[in-house]
Amino acid sequence: MKNEKTTDLNRREFLKGSSLTSLVMLVGGAAVKAQDGSSEEKPARPAGASIKCGVIGCGVWGREILTSLARLPNAPVTAVCDSYKPFLNRAGRMAPKAEKFSDYKQLLESKEVQAVFIATPTYNHREVAEAALKAGKHVYCEAPLAHTVEDARAIAKAAEAASKSYFQSGLQGRSDPELLNLATFVRSGAIGKPVMTRSQWHKKESWQRAAPTAEREYELNWRLRSATSPGLVGEIGIHHVDLTSWFMNARPAAVTGFGSIQHWRDGRDVPDTIMAVFEYPGRELHSFDSTLANSFEAAYDTFFGTDSAIMIRDRKAWMFKEVDAPLLGWEVYARKEGFYKETGIVLAANSTKLAAQGDNPVLDAQASQDTALYYAIESFIANAGLTNTAVEDFTSNFGDDEAGLKEYLKDLQGSKLPSAGYKEGYDATVIALKANEAILKGQKLELKDEWFEI
Amino acid sequence: MTKNLIARTLVAIVALSYTLSAAAEMVRYQARPGSKVTIHGTSTFHDWDATGHLIGGYMELDSSLPLDPAKAPAEGGKVNANVHSQIIVRSLKSENKKMDDVMHAALKQDKHPKIEYQLKELVQLPKKAGEPLAFEATGDLTVAGVTKTIKMPVTFEKVGDDRLKVAGKVDVKMSDFGVVVKPPVLALGLIKVGDEVKLAFEWITARANPVAQK
Repeated sequence: MKNEKTTDLNRREFLKGSSLTSLVMLVGGAAVKAQDGSSEEKPARPAGASIKCGVIGCGVWGREILTSLARLPNAPVTAVCDSYKPFLNRAGRMAPKAEKFSDYKQLLESKEVQAVFIATPTYNHREVAEAALKAGKHVYCEAPLAHTVEDARAIAKAAEAASKSYFQSGLQGRSDPELLNLATFVRSGAIGKPVMTRSQWHKKESWQRAAPTAEREYELNWRLRSATSPGLVGEIGIHHVDLTSWFMNARPAAVTGFGSIQHWRDGRDVPDTIMAVFEYPGRELHSFDSTLANSFEAAYDTFFGTDSAIMIRDRKAWMFKEVDAPLLGWEVYARKEGFYKETGIVLAANSTKLAAQGDNPVLDAQASQDTALYYAIESFIANAGLTNTAVEDFTSNFGDDEAGLKEYLKDLQGSKLPSAGYKEGYDATVIALKANEAILKGQKLELKDEWFEI
Repeated sequence: MTKNLIARTLVAIVALSYTLSAAAEMVRYQARPGSKVTIHGTSTFHDWDATGHLIGGYMELDSSLPLDPAKAPAEGGKVNANVHSQIIVRSLKSENKKMDDVMHAALKQDKHPKIEYQLKELVQLPKKAGEPLAFEATGDLTVAGVTKTIKMPVTFEKVGDDRLKVAGKVDVKMSDFGVVVKPPVLALGLIKVGDEVKLAFEWITARANPVAQK
């Protein structure tokens, strides 16, 4: 697959949306705000068929997944699994109706599980994902997909082959309505030509977790050993890297890395302070820096373009226009917030015209309080249901026709809720793993096209 | 007298068997994946389209009908045929999930999960040079539980060795089938969906028992 040219500016698409929605806003503007959450109008996102879920790996993130699942009426948790008993018990308390398993293989045998969420340590993903796909379950596999390119490729290959299963990778940003709107916004040319992106994730914490036994502590701190951990860029940077690739509609061509242990000298060999600079095919730059030694400004992404810059922080976004940038029109009425010496125009899914394309702006305002993970899981459940009905409809008419089924499911891509599939997950994982390699070597690495072939 | 009776009976039997042997031999075509059906509609907001890729069912054609236009009779005429096809309503999708829900509800998907078609009469139209074989099909279309007889032009086109593509277009009124579209409440009555919709389909079928064509 050739690297796509940067930024497919599509102003027509952007403007096509605005004129429709301006009509809705114009006529219904005031009335919309008044019609607040009466029971017939809720929910903007319809619930689909029920999908029975199992969660494999009930650590901190697995429990986040359980929390989101608890809020979805059509995603009952029927099984939880963890090899560590206290975590399993905790998960059991969060999902009292679920059956508890300490061995994922037994969970996969259960007929009461249609879909599984894999939130085990990264280096265990491959084994569980391959087994889950073989067992015919739908799979949500956390990002990064794996800690080696070989394992990631194996997962992607298995996902591709399992035509009756729906596979989603844990790049939850791809399902977030806020970011979806921003992606369209940026790709429509609203910031001009993108030239640079800056992302950071800073948090003063050791990443080391305590446990009752030395053995358990060793297992629990897989993140601190480079043999099992893709480091800060692999575990966290991957989301920022994917966001940029998504907005730029391109894949980086090279990455240069720097990293060392600056503060947490406890025997770990994973750097606690890193910087990775990605170079895109048009030579645009994306710098990602991350440290466990300081928390200032936490996490944000800033896209710099010739007409304006967009800063995304905590799922909120602001646009900072250049003095010589063309007037977009609506910014005159938009809310503004001050940042030191700059004035940022608030961009939010519920206040730009983009979002009102057929959706209820009032409900959207409430909805965007949800986390990106919640939206990703919602998409997963809906898409898994869609896959189930599609497979059922197809096989009831045409029986067992593997090639025909694959073709049919491809045609349904457009009806799926936005999400990161196995290809997006694989690409992002390879980029992040290579970035980690560059960091550990302190070198520049060209990202070869053949690495992205599944 | 008996001799006459025997003779007449013999003639009758011969005549009967002659008729029977002249009775049409039907070739069966089974639905295959790769079909497409589109519904094009209008509204006060914008035109909309829904697409499905699943048309099931079967077709039985008089084996004496040559599918090669060059060999078909020039003036056309009635053709012996049986068609029963169905479209699963939930396989119809538009570009918007919300619109899908509105459409499926309007088609009463929960009570009537399929749109069905039963052929009543197939007439071959006079040949036109360089064009696929054209017919006029009269049949019963059942949508949302309501059956109406419709006439539509269809064409038959051989694809490869054993496939037959049936293509057709017809305009129908949703109200004829009791289909009422309820746009989202937010629309404040501004969105009115046009009653007339254009249906177009391409149905891929394959011979149930592949046999060399005459």
